[in-house]
Amino acid sequence: MRGDPQLNGSDYLMLGFDYELRRRGFAGNSCQIVLELGSAISTEALKARLADLVNRYPILRARPGGVFLPKWKSAGHSVIGPQVRVHRDQPDLRQQLADEPLALKRGELLRFDLVQRDGGRMDVVFKWAHTLMDANSAEHFLAVVGRADIPLPATPTTQPLHAGKPLKQRFQLAWKSIHQLDQFCQAAPRSVGVRRPSAPARQKFRVERFSAEETARIRANGARLCGALGAAQYHSAVSMVELHRLHERIGCVSPSYVLPVPVGLRRKGSMEPLFSNQMTMLMTQFLPENLGSTVSAVAIVKSQMAAGLRTGLLESGVVLSELFRFLPLPLYMAMVKQGLRGEICSLFYGDTAAVTPLLTTFFGATIEDFTHIGATTPSPGLGVIFYFYRGLMRVTVFHLENHFSDAEAAGFAAGLRARLLEP
Amino acid sequence: MIETQEIETKLLDFLKREVFAPEVLVTSETDLVAAGFDSMSLVRLLLFIETDYGFWIPESEITGDALRNIRALASTIARLINER
Repeated sequence: MRGDPQLNGSDYLMLGFDYELRRRGFAGNSCQIVLELGSAISTEALKARLADLVNRYPILRARPGGVFLPKWKSAGHSVIGPQVRVHRDQPDLRQQLADEPLALKRGELLRFDLVQRDGGRMDVVFKWAHTLMDANSAEHFLAVVGRADIPLPATPTTQPLHAGKPLKQRFQLAWKSIHQLDQFCQAAPRSVGVRRPSAPARQKFRVERFSAEETARIRANGARLCGALGAAQYHSAVSMVELHRLHERIGCVSPSYVLPVPVGLRRKGSMEPLFSNQMTMLMTQFLPENLGSTVSAVAIVKSQMAAGLRTGLLESGVVLSELFRFLPLPLYMAMVKQGLRGEICSLFYGDTAAVTPLLTTFFGATIEDFTHIGATTPSPGLGVIFYFYRGLMRVTVFHLENHFSDAEAAGFAAGLRARLLEP
Repeated sequence: MIETQEIETKLLDFLKREVFAPEVLVTSETDLVAAGFDSMSLVRLLLFIETDYGFWIPESEITGDALRNIRALASTIARLINER
Protein backbone atom coordinates (compact mmCIF):
# COMPACT_ATOMS: atom_id res chain seq x y z
CA MET A 1 0.00 0.00 0.00
CA ARG A 2 1.37 3.43 -0.91
CA GLY A 3 2.95 5.07 2.09
CA ASP A 4 2.11 2.11 4.37
CA PRO A 5 0.19 3.96 7.11
CA GLN A 6 1.25 3.17 10.65
CA LEU A 7 -0.90 1.60 13.33
CA ASN A 8 -1.07 4.02 16.23
CA GLY A 9 -0.49 2.96 19.84
CA SER A 10 -4.14 2.24 20.44
CA ASP A 11 -4.48 0.18 17.23
CA TYR A 12 -1.43 -1.79 18.30
CA LEU A 13 -2.87 -2.50 21.75
CA MET A 14 -6.01 -3.85 20.07
CA LEU A 15 -3.81 -6.00 17.84
CA GLY A 16 -2.06 -7.24 20.97
CA PHE A 17 -5.38 -8.33 22.45
CA ASP A 18 -6.18 -10.09 19.17
CA TYR A 19 -2.89 -11.97 19.39
CA GLU A 20 -3.60 -12.92 23.00
CA LEU A 21 -7.12 -14.17 22.27
CA ARG A 22 -6.09 -16.27 19.27
CA ARG A 23 -3.15 -17.69 21.21
CA ARG A 24 -5.63 -19.03 23.75
CA GLY A 25 -8.00 -20.49 21.20
CA PHE A 26 -10.58 -17.70 21.00
CA ALA A 27 -11.77 -15.96 17.84
CA GLY A 28 -9.67 -12.83 18.28
CA ASN A 29 -10.33 -9.21 19.14
CA SER A 30 -13.19 -8.56 16.76
CA CYS A 31 -16.40 -6.74 17.62
CA GLN A 32 -19.84 -6.91 16.07
CA ILE A 33 -22.72 -4.57 15.39
CA VAL A 34 -26.07 -6.17 14.63
CA LEU A 35 -28.63 -4.14 12.66
CA GLU A 36 -32.14 -5.55 12.72
CA LEU A 37 -33.74 -4.43 9.46
CA GLY A 38 -37.45 -4.28 8.71
CA SER A 39 -36.84 -5.60 5.19
CA ALA A 40 -34.14 -7.44 3.26
CA ILE A 41 -31.43 -5.62 1.34
CA SER A 42 -29.69 -6.57 -1.90
CA THR A 43 -26.54 -8.61 -1.37
CA GLU A 44 -25.19 -7.44 -4.72
CA ALA A 45 -25.70 -3.79 -3.83
CA LEU A 46 -23.79 -4.28 -0.59
CA LYS A 47 -20.94 -6.06 -2.39
CA ALA A 48 -20.74 -3.32 -5.00
CA ARG A 49 -20.66 -0.61 -2.36
CA LEU A 50 -17.90 -2.40 -0.45
CA ALA A 51 -15.86 -2.89 -3.63
CA ASP A 52 -16.13 0.84 -4.27
CA LEU A 53 -15.02 1.68 -0.73
CA VAL A 54 -12.14 -0.79 -0.87
CA ASN A 55 -10.88 0.85 -4.07
CA ARG A 56 -11.11 4.21 -2.40
CA TYR A 57 -9.52 3.13 0.90
CA PRO A 58 -6.80 0.45 0.45
CA ILE A 59 -6.56 0.11 4.24
CA LEU A 60 -9.79 -1.95 4.04
CA ARG A 61 -7.91 -4.79 2.34
CA ALA A 62 -4.62 -4.60 4.20
CA ARG A 63 -3.10 -6.61 7.00
CA PRO A 64 -1.12 -5.47 10.02
CA GLY A 65 2.59 -5.96 9.41
CA GLY A 66 5.88 -4.03 9.59
CA VAL A 67 9.26 -4.93 11.03
CA PHE A 68 10.22 -2.16 13.43
CA LEU A 69 6.92 -0.29 13.56
CA PRO A 70 3.45 -1.79 13.01
CA LYS A 71 2.05 -0.73 9.64
CA TRP A 72 -0.84 -1.54 7.36
CA LYS A 73 0.61 -3.64 4.50
CA SER A 74 -1.08 -4.70 1.32
CA ALA A 75 -2.28 -8.27 1.75
CA GLY A 76 -0.91 -9.14 -1.71
CA HIS A 77 -2.03 -12.14 -3.77
CA SER A 78 -3.73 -13.90 -0.89
CA VAL A 79 -5.96 -10.93 -0.15
CA ILE A 80 -9.52 -11.62 0.92
CA GLY A 81 -10.75 -8.15 1.84
CA PRO A 82 -14.26 -7.56 3.20
CA GLN A 83 -16.56 -10.58 2.94
CA VAL A 84 -20.35 -10.77 2.50
CA ARG A 85 -22.23 -13.99 3.29
CA VAL A 86 -25.92 -14.87 3.40
CA HIS A 87 -27.59 -17.24 5.89
CA ARG A 88 -31.04 -18.50 6.82
CA ASP A 89 -31.73 -17.82 10.47
CA GLN A 90 -31.29 -20.80 12.79
CA PRO A 91 -30.98 -21.18 16.56
CA ASP A 92 -27.18 -21.40 16.93
CA LEU A 93 -26.27 -19.07 14.08
CA ARG A 94 -25.53 -15.96 16.18
CA GLN A 95 -23.12 -17.87 18.39
CA GLN A 96 -21.47 -19.47 15.33
CA LEU A 97 -20.97 -16.05 13.72
CA ALA A 98 -19.51 -14.69 16.95
CA ASP A 99 -17.07 -17.62 17.23
CA GLU A 100 -15.69 -17.39 13.68
CA PRO A 101 -12.39 -15.50 13.52
CA LEU A 102 -11.60 -12.97 10.81
CA ALA A 103 -8.70 -13.90 8.52
CA LEU A 104 -6.68 -10.90 9.67
CA LYS A 105 -3.41 -12.03 8.08
CA ARG A 106 -5.16 -12.31 4.70
CA GLY A 107 -6.60 -8.83 4.89
CA GLU A 108 -10.09 -9.73 6.08
CA LEU A 109 -10.75 -6.85 8.44
CA LEU A 110 -14.51 -6.69 7.87
CA ARG A 111 -17.27 -9.21 7.39
CA PHE A 112 -20.98 -8.80 6.72
CA ASP A 113 -23.29 -11.72 7.49
CA LEU A 114 -26.80 -11.15 6.18
CA VAL A 115 -29.30 -13.25 8.09
CA GLN A 116 -32.67 -13.79 6.38
CA ARG A 117 -35.48 -13.88 8.90
CA ASP A 118 -39.14 -14.77 8.68
CA GLY A 119 -41.47 -12.20 7.17
CA GLY A 120 -38.86 -10.88 4.73
CA ARG A 121 -36.85 -9.25 7.51
CA MET A 122 -33.08 -9.32 7.69
CA ASP A 123 -30.33 -8.86 10.28
CA VAL A 124 -26.96 -7.48 9.28
CA VAL A 125 -24.19 -8.85 11.47
CA PHE A 126 -21.17 -6.63 10.88
CA LYS A 127 -17.91 -7.91 12.32
CA TRP A 128 -14.72 -5.87 12.29
CA ALA A 129 -11.19 -6.20 13.60
CA HIS A 130 -10.83 -3.84 16.54
CA THR A 131 -7.30 -3.00 15.42
CA LEU A 132 -8.80 -1.26 12.36
CA MET A 133 -11.18 1.07 14.16
CA ASP A 134 -13.02 1.77 17.40
CA ALA A 135 -16.75 1.28 17.98
CA ASN A 136 -17.73 4.87 17.20
CA SER A 137 -15.82 4.64 13.92
CA ALA A 138 -17.57 1.36 13.13
CA GLU A 139 -20.97 2.99 13.61
CA HIS A 140 -20.02 5.83 11.28
CA PHE A 141 -18.51 3.43 8.73
CA LEU A 142 -21.78 1.46 8.66
CA ALA A 143 -23.64 4.69 7.96
CA VAL A 144 -21.20 5.43 5.11
CA VAL A 145 -21.72 1.92 3.69
CA GLY A 146 -25.48 1.96 3.96
CA ARG A 147 -26.31 5.49 2.89
CA ALA A 148 -25.11 7.28 -0.22
CA ASP A 149 -25.80 10.71 1.27
CA ILE A 150 -23.13 10.54 3.99
CA PRO A 151 -19.89 12.34 3.06
CA LEU A 152 -16.96 9.95 2.69
CA PRO A 153 -14.08 10.21 5.14
CA ALA A 154 -11.37 12.56 3.94
CA THR A 155 -8.37 11.29 5.89
CA PRO A 156 -8.74 7.56 6.21
CA THR A 157 -5.17 6.67 7.13
CA THR A 158 -3.85 6.43 10.64
CA GLN A 159 -1.09 8.46 12.22
CA PRO A 160 0.63 8.20 15.60
CA LEU A 161 -1.53 9.66 18.34
CA HIS A 162 1.29 11.68 19.77
CA ALA A 163 4.36 13.18 18.20
CA GLY A 164 6.50 16.23 18.37
CA LYS A 165 8.03 16.07 21.84
CA PRO A 166 11.69 15.09 22.28
CA LEU A 167 12.22 11.45 23.18
CA LYS A 168 13.49 12.24 26.68
CA GLN A 169 10.34 14.24 27.43
CA ARG A 170 8.19 11.42 26.08
CA PHE A 171 9.88 8.91 28.37
CA GLN A 172 9.36 11.23 31.33
CA LEU A 173 5.68 11.54 30.46
CA ALA A 174 5.27 7.79 29.97
CA TRP A 175 6.86 7.19 33.34
CA LYS A 176 3.84 8.76 35.06
CA SER A 177 1.63 5.89 33.89
CA ILE A 178 4.17 3.29 34.95
CA HIS A 179 4.43 4.97 38.35
CA GLN A 180 0.64 4.86 38.65
CA LEU A 181 0.64 1.11 37.99
CA ASP A 182 3.39 0.74 40.60
CA GLN A 183 1.14 2.48 43.11
CA PHE A 184 -1.75 0.19 42.18
CA CYS A 185 0.54 -2.74 43.07
CA GLN A 186 0.22 -1.91 46.72
CA ALA A 187 -3.03 -3.86 46.49
CA ALA A 188 -2.48 -5.72 43.22
CA PRO A 189 -5.71 -6.78 41.54
CA ARG A 190 -6.36 -10.43 40.81
CA SER A 191 -8.83 -11.79 38.28
CA VAL A 192 -10.82 -14.99 38.58
CA GLY A 193 -8.65 -16.58 35.86
CA VAL A 194 -9.53 -19.83 34.09
CA ARG A 195 -11.85 -21.30 36.70
CA ARG A 196 -13.59 -23.59 34.22
CA PRO A 197 -10.79 -25.22 32.21
CA SER A 198 -13.08 -27.78 30.60
CA ALA A 199 -15.39 -25.09 29.15
CA PRO A 200 -14.87 -24.27 25.46
CA ALA A 201 -12.76 -21.26 24.45
CA ARG A 202 -15.84 -19.31 23.52
CA GLN A 203 -17.25 -15.88 24.21
CA LYS A 204 -20.96 -15.47 24.93
CA PHE A 205 -23.05 -12.35 25.20
CA ARG A 206 -26.42 -11.11 26.37
CA VAL A 207 -28.13 -7.75 25.82
CA GLU A 208 -30.01 -5.92 28.55
CA ARG A 209 -32.65 -3.66 27.00
CA PHE A 210 -34.30 -0.80 28.84
CA SER A 211 -37.65 0.80 28.14
CA ALA A 212 -38.11 4.54 27.70
CA GLU A 213 -39.29 4.86 31.29
CA GLU A 214 -36.35 2.82 32.62
CA THR A 215 -33.88 4.79 30.47
CA ALA A 216 -35.27 8.05 31.87
CA ARG A 217 -34.88 6.72 35.42
CA ILE A 218 -31.28 5.69 34.81
CA ARG A 219 -30.46 9.06 33.24
CA ALA A 220 -32.00 10.82 36.24
CA ASN A 221 -30.01 8.64 38.67
CA GLY A 222 -26.81 9.45 36.77
CA ALA A 223 -27.52 13.18 36.79
CA ARG A 224 -28.37 13.12 40.52
CA LEU A 225 -25.20 11.27 41.54
CA CYS A 226 -22.73 12.55 38.96
CA GLY A 227 -24.11 15.86 37.71
CA ALA A 228 -24.97 16.83 34.17
CA LEU A 229 -23.08 14.76 31.58
CA GLY A 230 -22.09 12.31 34.33
CA ALA A 231 -23.83 9.27 32.84
CA ALA A 232 -20.62 7.45 31.93
CA GLN A 233 -19.23 7.91 35.43
CA TYR A 234 -22.43 6.49 36.86
CA HIS A 235 -22.37 3.48 34.53
CA SER A 236 -18.75 2.67 35.36
CA ALA A 237 -19.32 2.99 39.11
CA VAL A 238 -22.36 0.70 38.99
CA SER A 239 -20.42 -1.82 36.90
CA MET A 240 -17.59 -1.96 39.42
CA VAL A 241 -19.91 -2.42 42.41
CA GLU A 242 -21.60 -5.32 40.62
CA LEU A 243 -18.23 -6.78 39.57
CA HIS A 244 -17.16 -6.84 43.22
CA ARG A 245 -20.44 -8.49 44.20
CA LEU A 246 -19.88 -11.13 41.51
CA HIS A 247 -16.39 -11.80 42.85
CA GLU A 248 -17.87 -12.10 46.34
CA ARG A 249 -20.51 -14.58 45.14
CA ILE A 250 -17.92 -16.85 43.57
CA GLY A 251 -15.55 -16.55 46.54
CA CYS A 252 -12.80 -14.69 44.70
CA VAL A 253 -12.58 -11.21 46.20
CA SER A 254 -9.68 -9.25 44.75
CA PRO A 255 -7.44 -6.98 46.85
CA SER A 256 -8.41 -4.27 44.36
CA TYR A 257 -10.05 -3.85 40.97
CA VAL A 258 -8.63 -1.83 38.08
CA LEU A 259 -10.89 -0.27 35.48
CA PRO A 260 -9.31 1.18 32.36
CA VAL A 261 -11.79 3.85 31.26
CA PRO A 262 -11.54 4.43 27.49
CA VAL A 263 -11.24 8.12 26.66
CA GLY A 264 -11.96 9.26 23.12
CA LEU A 265 -9.22 11.42 21.60
CA ARG A 266 -11.06 12.68 18.55
CA ARG A 267 -11.92 16.34 18.58
CA LYS A 268 -15.64 16.73 19.19
CA GLY A 269 -17.74 17.04 16.07
CA SER A 270 -15.36 15.03 13.88
CA MET A 271 -14.94 11.36 12.98
CA GLU A 272 -11.51 11.80 11.40
CA PRO A 273 -9.42 9.74 11.05
CA LEU A 274 -12.12 7.10 10.63
CA PHE A 275 -10.02 3.94 10.22
CA SER A 276 -8.23 4.18 13.51
CA ASN A 277 -8.66 3.67 17.26
CA GLN A 278 -8.62 7.20 18.60
CA MET A 279 -8.61 6.53 22.32
CA THR A 280 -6.51 5.99 25.37
CA MET A 281 -7.20 4.51 28.79
CA LEU A 282 -7.48 6.37 32.07
CA MET A 283 -6.77 3.81 34.79
CA THR A 284 -8.85 3.85 37.96
CA GLN A 285 -8.46 1.58 40.96
CA PHE A 286 -11.10 0.54 43.49
CA LEU A 287 -10.46 -1.15 46.80
CA PRO A 288 -13.20 -3.50 48.06
CA GLU A 289 -14.18 -0.93 50.70
CA ASN A 290 -14.83 1.60 47.90
CA LEU A 291 -17.38 -0.73 46.35
CA GLY A 292 -19.83 -1.06 49.23
CA SER A 293 -22.28 1.29 47.55
CA THR A 294 -22.81 3.10 44.27
CA VAL A 295 -22.23 6.44 45.98
CA SER A 296 -18.79 5.44 47.28
CA ALA A 297 -17.82 4.01 43.88
CA VAL A 298 -18.97 7.19 42.13
CA ALA A 299 -16.74 9.24 44.45
CA ILE A 300 -13.71 7.16 43.41
CA VAL A 301 -14.48 7.44 39.70
CA LYS A 302 -14.88 11.20 39.90
CA SER A 303 -11.82 11.89 42.01
CA GLN A 304 -9.51 9.60 40.03
CA MET A 305 -10.70 10.91 36.69
CA ALA A 306 -10.07 14.52 37.71
CA ALA A 307 -6.73 13.61 39.32
CA GLY A 308 -5.72 11.68 36.20
CA LEU A 309 -6.34 14.67 33.97
CA ARG A 310 -4.81 17.11 36.46
CA THR A 311 -1.55 15.17 36.68
CA GLY A 312 -1.23 14.52 32.96
CA LEU A 313 -2.00 10.79 33.05
CA LEU A 314 -4.09 11.03 29.92
CA GLU A 315 -1.21 12.35 27.85
CA SER A 316 1.12 9.95 29.62
CA GLY A 317 -1.04 6.98 28.60
CA VAL A 318 -1.02 8.13 24.99
CA VAL A 319 2.76 8.53 24.94
CA LEU A 320 3.28 5.16 26.63
CA SER A 321 1.11 3.37 24.08
CA GLU A 322 3.01 5.04 21.25
CA LEU A 323 6.34 3.90 22.70
CA PHE A 324 5.02 0.34 23.12
CA ARG A 325 4.58 0.11 19.35
CA PHE A 326 8.31 -0.58 19.07
CA LEU A 327 7.93 -3.86 20.99
CA PRO A 328 7.14 -7.20 19.35
CA LEU A 329 3.58 -8.32 20.18
CA PRO A 330 4.45 -11.28 22.46
CA LEU A 331 6.76 -9.11 24.56
CA TYR A 332 4.21 -6.28 24.60
CA MET A 333 1.41 -8.53 25.83
CA ALA A 334 3.68 -10.13 28.43
CA MET A 335 4.47 -6.64 29.75
CA VAL A 336 0.81 -5.63 29.77
CA LYS A 337 -0.13 -8.78 31.65
CA GLN A 338 2.68 -8.28 34.16
CA GLY A 339 1.97 -4.56 34.48
CA LEU A 340 0.50 -4.94 37.91
CA ARG A 341 2.11 -8.20 38.87
CA GLY A 342 -1.54 -9.11 38.92
CA GLU A 343 -4.12 -7.92 36.41
CA ILE A 344 -4.06 -4.69 34.47
CA CYS A 345 -7.81 -4.79 33.87
CA SER A 346 -10.59 -6.23 36.04
CA LEU A 347 -13.42 -5.52 33.61
CA PHE A 348 -13.56 -4.56 29.93
CA TYR A 349 -15.69 -1.47 29.84
CA GLY A 350 -17.02 0.61 26.98
CA ASP A 351 -19.48 3.47 26.89
CA THR A 352 -20.13 4.51 23.32
CA ALA A 353 -22.98 6.85 24.34
CA ALA A 354 -25.67 7.53 21.73
CA VAL A 355 -25.39 5.58 18.49
CA THR A 356 -24.84 7.95 15.58
CA PRO A 357 -28.19 9.39 14.45
CA LEU A 358 -27.07 8.68 10.86
CA LEU A 359 -27.94 5.01 11.40
CA THR A 360 -31.67 5.03 10.83
CA THR A 361 -31.71 3.21 7.49
CA PHE A 362 -29.35 0.80 5.74
CA PHE A 363 -29.65 0.54 1.94
CA GLY A 364 -33.11 2.01 2.33
CA ALA A 365 -34.32 -0.57 4.87
CA THR A 366 -35.41 0.76 8.25
CA ILE A 367 -33.12 -0.15 11.15
CA GLU A 368 -35.48 -1.38 13.85
CA ASP A 369 -32.88 -2.25 16.45
CA PHE A 370 -29.16 -2.01 17.03
CA THR A 371 -26.77 -4.06 19.15
CA HIS A 372 -23.09 -3.69 20.00
CA ILE A 373 -21.16 -6.85 20.87
CA GLY A 374 -17.67 -6.28 22.21
CA ALA A 375 -14.75 -8.58 22.86
CA THR A 376 -12.98 -9.33 26.11
CA THR A 377 -9.66 -11.03 26.77
CA PRO A 378 -8.52 -13.73 29.17
CA SER A 379 -8.43 -12.35 31.79
CA PRO A 380 -10.65 -10.60 32.99
CA GLY A 381 -13.03 -12.61 30.76
CA LEU A 382 -15.91 -10.23 31.38
CA GLY A 383 -16.94 -7.02 29.64
CA VAL A 384 -19.76 -4.51 29.29
CA ILE A 385 -20.74 -1.91 26.71
CA PHE A 386 -23.24 0.83 27.44
CA TYR A 387 -24.98 2.61 24.55
CA PHE A 388 -28.22 4.26 23.55
CA TYR A 389 -30.14 3.57 20.37
CA ARG A 390 -33.00 5.93 19.49
CA GLY A 391 -32.84 7.19 23.05
CA LEU A 392 -33.21 3.74 24.63
CA MET A 393 -30.48 2.31 26.77
CA ARG A 394 -28.77 -0.98 25.99
CA VAL A 395 -26.07 -2.83 27.91
CA THR A 396 -24.29 -5.78 26.31
CA VAL A 397 -22.57 -8.11 28.78
CA PHE A 398 -20.06 -10.55 27.31
CA HIS A 399 -18.05 -13.26 29.04
CA LEU A 400 -15.58 -16.03 28.32
CA GLU A 401 -17.05 -19.39 29.19
CA ASN A 402 -13.86 -20.71 30.77
CA HIS A 403 -13.84 -17.78 33.21
CA PHE A 404 -17.52 -17.46 34.14
CA SER A 405 -20.55 -19.70 33.78
CA ASP A 406 -23.66 -18.46 31.96
CA ALA A 407 -25.49 -18.28 35.30
CA GLU A 408 -22.74 -16.12 36.83
CA ALA A 409 -22.77 -13.75 33.85
CA ALA A 410 -26.58 -13.62 34.00
CA GLY A 411 -26.38 -12.79 37.71
CA PHE A 412 -23.94 -9.99 36.97
CA ALA A 413 -26.21 -8.60 34.22
CA ALA A 414 -29.27 -8.78 36.47
CA GLY A 415 -27.40 -7.00 39.27
CA LEU A 416 -26.29 -4.31 36.83
CA ARG A 417 -29.85 -3.76 35.64
CA ALA A 418 -31.23 -3.55 39.16
CA ARG A 419 -28.51 -1.20 40.41
CA LEU A 420 -28.77 1.13 37.40
CA LEU A 421 -32.44 1.51 38.21
CA GLU A 422 -32.03 1.67 42.00
CA PRO A 423 -28.51 2.85 42.87
CA MET B 1 -15.54 42.50 39.53
CA ILE B 2 -14.89 40.12 36.66
CA GLU B 3 -16.84 40.54 33.43
CA THR B 4 -18.84 37.70 31.90
CA GLN B 5 -17.64 38.77 28.46
CA GLU B 6 -14.00 38.23 29.42
CA ILE B 7 -14.72 34.72 30.69
CA GLU B 8 -16.81 33.96 27.61
CA THR B 9 -13.90 34.85 25.32
CA LYS B 10 -11.50 32.65 27.28
CA LEU B 11 -13.88 29.68 27.32
CA LEU B 12 -14.57 30.03 23.63
CA ASP B 13 -10.87 30.10 22.87
CA PHE B 14 -10.20 27.04 25.05
CA LEU B 15 -13.04 24.98 23.59
CA LYS B 16 -12.08 25.82 20.01
CA ARG B 17 -8.42 25.05 20.68
CA GLU B 18 -8.70 21.93 22.82
CA VAL B 19 -12.10 20.30 22.53
CA PHE B 20 -13.90 20.83 19.23
CA ALA B 21 -12.70 19.91 15.75
CA PRO B 22 -11.57 22.89 13.64
CA GLU B 23 -14.44 22.39 11.20
CA VAL B 24 -17.06 22.79 13.93
CA LEU B 25 -18.42 26.31 14.13
CA VAL B 26 -18.47 27.17 17.83
CA THR B 27 -19.94 30.42 19.08
CA SER B 28 -21.07 31.63 22.49
CA GLU B 29 -24.55 30.37 21.67
CA THR B 30 -23.68 26.94 20.29
CA ASP B 31 -25.53 24.12 22.05
CA LEU B 32 -22.50 22.39 23.56
CA VAL B 33 -24.00 18.94 24.10
CA ALA B 34 -25.52 18.83 20.62
CA ALA B 35 -22.08 19.70 19.23
CA GLY B 36 -20.55 16.65 20.95
CA PHE B 37 -19.42 18.05 24.32
CA ASP B 38 -19.25 15.08 26.73
CA SER B 39 -18.27 14.16 30.29
CA MET B 40 -14.54 14.08 29.55
CA SER B 41 -14.75 17.46 27.81
CA LEU B 42 -16.49 18.75 30.91
CA VAL B 43 -13.74 17.54 33.25
CA ARG B 44 -11.14 19.16 30.98
CA LEU B 45 -13.11 22.39 31.02
CA LEU B 46 -13.42 22.29 34.81
CA LEU B 47 -9.64 21.83 35.08
CA PHE B 48 -9.10 24.78 32.75
CA ILE B 49 -11.36 26.92 34.95
CA GLU B 50 -9.53 25.72 38.05
CA THR B 51 -6.16 26.65 36.55
CA ASP B 52 -7.30 30.05 35.31
CA TYR B 53 -9.66 31.16 38.08
CA GLY B 54 -8.41 29.13 41.02
CA PHE B 55 -11.52 27.22 41.95
CA TRP B 56 -13.40 24.03 41.05
CA ILE B 57 -17.01 24.62 40.10
CA PRO B 58 -19.19 22.81 42.66
CA GLU B 59 -21.18 19.92 41.25
CA SER B 60 -24.47 21.51 42.23
CA GLU B 61 -23.70 24.32 39.76
CA ILE B 62 -23.04 21.96 36.83
CA THR B 63 -26.58 21.74 35.60
CA GLY B 64 -28.06 21.27 32.16
CA ASP B 65 -28.89 24.98 32.16
CA ALA B 66 -25.34 26.03 33.02
CA LEU B 67 -24.00 23.83 30.23
CA ARG B 68 -26.53 25.04 27.68
CA ASN B 69 -23.91 27.14 25.89
CA ILE B 70 -20.72 29.09 26.56
CA ARG B 71 -22.61 32.25 27.46
CA ALA B 72 -24.61 30.47 30.19
CA LEU B 73 -21.48 28.81 31.51
CA ALA B 74 -19.53 32.08 31.58
CA SER B 75 -22.36 33.71 33.45
CA THR B 76 -22.32 30.93 36.09
CA ILE B 77 -18.56 31.25 36.50
CA ALA B 78 -18.74 35.04 36.79
CA ARG B 79 -21.43 34.75 39.47
CA LEU B 80 -19.38 32.22 41.46
CA ILE B 81 -16.24 34.34 41.24
CA ASN B 82 -18.04 37.50 42.30
CA GLU B 83 -19.72 35.70 45.21
CA ARG B 84 -16.36 34.58 46.61
